[in-house]
Amino acid sequence: MHKHSPILCIVPPHMLKEIAANGSEIQKRMAVDTINASAILRAERLKMAEFGAVFKSAIAKAAGDGKERIVYDAKNGSSLPGTIARREGDGPSADVAINEAYDGSGITYDLFKDIYNRNSIDGNGMRLDSTVHYQKGYDNAFWDGQQMVYGDGDENLPVSERLFNRFTIALDIIGHELTHGVTQFEAKLVYSQQPGALNESMSDVFGSLVKQYQRKQTADQADWIIGEGLLTANVNGIGIRTMKAPGTAYDDPVLGKDPQPAHMKDYVNTIGDNGGVHINSGIPNHAFYLTALELGGFAWEKAGQVWYATLRDKLTEKSNFQQCASLTYQTAGELFGTGSLEQQAVKNGWAGVGLNVEGGGTEPGGGCLESLLRFVGAAPAR
Amino acid sequence: MDVERIKFERTGGFANMRIAADLEPDDFSEEQLSALSDLLDKLDFAELPENMVSDPSASDQFTYTITVEAEEWMHTVVTGDASANEKMQELLELLNRLARNQMRKR
Repeated sequence: MHKHSPILCIVPPHMLKEIAANGSEIQKRMAVDTINASAILRAERLKMAEFGAVFKSAIAKAAGDGKERIVYDAKNGSSLPGTIARREGDGPSADVAINEAYDGSGITYDLFKDIYNRNSIDGNGMRLDSTVHYQKGYDNAFWDGQQMVYGDGDENLPVSERLFNRFTIALDIIGHELTHGVTQFEAKLVYSQQPGALNESMSDVFGSLVKQYQRKQTADQADWIIGEGLLTANVNGIGIRTMKAPGTAYDDPVLGKDPQPAHMKDYVNTIGDNGGVHINSGIPNHAFYLTALELGGFAWEKAGQVWYATLRDKLTEKSNFQQCASLTYQTAGELFGTGSLEQQAVKNGWAGVGLNVEGGGTEPGGGCLESLLRFVGAAPAR
Repeated sequence: MDVERIKFERTGGFANMRIAADLEPDDFSEEQLSALSDLLDKLDFAELPENMVSDPSASDQFTYTITVEAEEWMHTVVTGDASANEKMQELLELLNRLARNQMRKR
């Protein structure tokens, strides 16, 4: 802190200059001291202002003022997150996977922000981190609880033996992985049995909506395929899953047949795949498709609003299909009115997969114990 | 370490494609067998906890079940991508490659 003359510190600068030039010796000295002190103060104020701007920007970023993406390159290793390959605002890379991860997370952010007024994964501007080129021959993509991770498929095999392309190739996969993050911060659906299948279904629903939003497609124009382009030409299939016709995405001598059911009567009891989270998700996936198709127009507008609000406000860790059906119905009533066409469409959507929104749908039967007993042959098959 | 048999299964993942194989020493090249032995030693495999899938918030990761049968012991470990350390990742990559080769030959 600088000390100032109590009188001169309120004297305007032009007057100080006059005093410094024409005053007595002591007046001159005090005026010069004050001029110098003022200059220092001005510099400090400027610094404070600059610091304030930087601070404000950091706070804004932390609070999530705009999207913030980083794409890392694992360079075929296993260490996460890897080396920074593209930051927010950087121009395109020469590497297609880096650009797909960057653009895909960007449009996913846009859908959640523009349509559902959600600021990123955590609702508070969380940075979207993605890693591409994870391991060698890694035919998968996953959400590790903090970031998205993408493998390159079967790039290490001869072309004639490859089954999978890179996992950033389909925009809905990127939307799918990012939505796992949203679910983690909202309903926190446990990754097992029906809550896990709902978790998977939410990711497919919003993954598909991201693709439709980018293409500006209405429900009847959309293909509803999850992972379109992911399978190579060596595989007989159109994608990994289809919300329009679960169970028909692929039928191949090497990969086998798409195991997804489209109706509760075909619910698959299994202990594999965390209790069939990627299998039975076909049921709520199809319910969403039927709802969106009945409503018409852009699926993200009405059906998407109902599903998003249910995910955000109603579903909990252990919610099952029946509860999800009832809660989406309730949400549609709250958003569009009791007895509205929208609420009726939700009811019909779930009825189409064997679930009554007022309860009493076709139960898959039994829980984990019965599944296990049936698996080991100690309970009758359904 | 004299490994007699390894049962390997990979489930889950975004595409939910299961890979499984029963591997015996003859299925490995000499170089692979040496790498396997080295990795099992460095991991102290027989002493690893049975369940190493630690992060409940991870989704779409693979779940790997590895059972190693050696001359004097047998041990099963279940792990996932996010929780596997570097040596475990190397082991998974090796077993995954061999399992896929075996499945292709069928």
